Amino acid sequence: MHAMPSNSLKRFAIMPLLLALASCATAPEEKVSLLEQVKSNGELRCGVSGRLPGFSFVTSEGAYTGLDVDICRAVAAAVLGNPDDVAYTQLTAAQRFTALSSGEIDMLSRNTTQTLSRDSAGGNGLAFAPVVFYDGQGVMVRKDSGITNLEGLEDKTFCARAGTTTERNLNDVMQAEGIAYELVKFETPDQMEGAYLAGRCDAATADRSSLNSSRAGFEAPDEHVILDEVLSKEPLAPATVDGDSQWADAVRWVVHGLMAAEEQGITQGNIDDQVTSATSGENQENAAIRRFLGIEGDLGAKLGLPNDFVVQAVRAVGNYGEIYDRHLGPDTPTFIPRGLNDSYVNGGLHYAPPFN
Amino acid sequence: MADTPRPGPRPAQLLRRLRRGLFASHLDTLITVVLAVVCGSGLWSLLHWTFLQADWAVVQDNIRLYFNGNFPVSQIWRSWSWLGLLGVLCILTLMPSRLLPPAMVRLLPLFWVLILPIGLLLLAAGLGFEPVKSRFWGGLQLSLLLTLGTILMALPLGILMALARRSSLPLLRWLTTGYIELMRGMPLIAVLFFGQLMIPLFLPEGWTFSRVLRAVLSLGFFMAAYMAEDVRGGLQSIPKTQLEAARSLGLSPLLTIALVELPQALRTALPALANQCVASLQNTSLLAYLGLIELLGISRSILANPNYLGRHLEVYLWLALVYWAVCILMTSLARRVEHSLNVTGHH
Repeated sequence: MHAMPSNSLKRFAIMPLLLALASCATAPEEKVSLLEQVKSNGELRCGVSGRLPGFSFVTSEGAYTGLDVDICRAVAAAVLGNPDDVAYTQLTAAQRFTALSSGEIDMLSRNTTQTLSRDSAGGNGLAFAPVVFYDGQGVMVRKDSGITNLEGLEDKTFCARAGTTTERNLNDVMQAEGIAYELVKFETPDQMEGAYLAGRCDAATADRSSLNSSRAGFEAPDEHVILDEVLSKEPLAPATVDGDSQWADAVRWVVHGLMAAEEQGITQGNIDDQVTSATSGENQENAAIRRFLGIEGDLGAKLGLPNDFVVQAVRAVGNYGEIYDRHLGPDTPTFIPRGLNDSYVNGGLHYAPPFN
Repeated sequence: MADTPRPGPRPAQLLRRLRRGLFASHLDTLITVVLAVVCGSGLWSLLHWTFLQADWAVVQDNIRLYFNGNFPVSQIWRSWSWLGLLGVLCILTLMPSRLLPPAMVRLLPLFWVLILPIGLLLLAAGLGFEPVKSRFWGGLQLSLLLTLGTILMALPLGILMALARRSSLPLLRWLTTGYIELMRGMPLIAVLFFGQLMIPLFLPEGWTFSRVLRAVLSLGFFMAAYMAEDVRGGLQSIPKTQLEAARSLGLSPLLTIALVELPQALRTALPALANQCVASLQNTSLLAYLGLIELLGISRSILANPNYLGRHLEVYLWLALVYWAVCILMTSLARRVEHSLNVTGHH
């Protein structure tokens, strides 16, 4: 038999394989942080839903807007100096994590609930930025039904979306409270909404933010109330890919910066006055605010960002409170009372660590 | 039959026919009345809602989004001119061919093949225009681009596979049969998910395929399997004697395929192929569930605009109308092609 040629053939076949393996082994060391890549690309690739009222949608002019979108814009302003240097990609719930891990997007700002399995390396392997919206599952009923709490819903019918965690959360809570109920399931939010309006069920359950935007689209929104009880925790946070702490830190501190600005009363309107005041005005002795605004120290440089990154972000989109009010505030059709989403100063949960 | 209509004035004849068709017996009368009431009230409430209750601002304000997606406004003429070119091409194809110069008629198929590269040039970059990335393509324009891309990819691939499936080389035959059966055994949405989710994971780091290209590839590979079967049906309808005749005339196997088999097979398969083309337009709407902002996708983004909350019915009715109009256009184009082939190909 011709042993020689087949042997040399094998060697030939193995060579590229070894090369490929070797390149795999060395790849992580050469890996550049996404922060540097974003800077060299000159644009931030941000994954959004594009279909969530108040969070991300397309205006009639074709521009993306919403709370999730403003987080992308703030990061782009802090990193690149221009909030418009964002490339948006619409992602569905199923695609979002793959898009992040395959490098199709740099950051995800798409109503993603922070959970252990999504954070861990054994799960989806994400790195979460601070929570930008504390959501929770709620229940909506007709006002004239006189129902004011979950107990009032004994033996009543609920509409929910099939195959979501909503169904399980409702079951958990109702079982714990010992309240019997019936459930009707629907495939899409539109169907559920239609069924609830047609009187197919006494209550509709979904995340409070989505119940709220459904209600805003009703003909008579005032005839429906969302109960105070919250059935689940849904902390929604932007995310980046695990294992790139430089990029994750940059995104995290931009979000903290938006919240810290609100705590200190720094707004889009007064940011320039604040900078002047801290540079040469009454605040020039205030080291904390000078560090925060990047006038002294090198907080930004430590992150790989310009020292005035907070100023850039706030100038572009305002502080967290302003972003919230613009998209979910009392003057919008999608009004949601701030509640947990207020700054800790006002009894909410948003609390930025010190900028030291 | 004995009850042939007696000669009489026309209206009376019509009345008699109506009576015989709709009110012949008590049961017939009952069915007619019930159906008339049900259809009438359905139509009435639809019209009532359409003209009195519906708020069409959600359609009027966002026309640009439905047609061009969020294509940069400064460059929007490029998007409109491609849609315009497509429209002109449709009109030219639908016009009676005696009104057109014969050279034009002969060149029309070439124009149809060229319209896709022209569209890509106009929309993406080239010719000194500012480049526009594919994520700005959206709305009907993207749906049509996807449809055209799919058809132009699937048709040649399908023809090749149909021929390969009848090949005398066993390996080629088994591979194509396996491929076709695999594709036909999978739901399209699974293929699309594979294209959008798995391809990026398999690609080496740093490589990215635009999502539009990934969509066209998955749609095209899927559709090719169906088209191959349609073409194979056409090939099977050709009597064996023709092949024998071709061989005895000394035609090579390649010439036999090109001159004898394919022209006849494609003519037979045309209605089925046209059907696949219409289906491929409708299949693009599945991509809305994968985050593409084609016609259905952009509509869902518009519905998320707080100014138009709860306007689902208006938007979906409008979408139905647009998809219907495009499908009607496609079927009449197909009928036109069928007609012209039959006329020129009469023996």
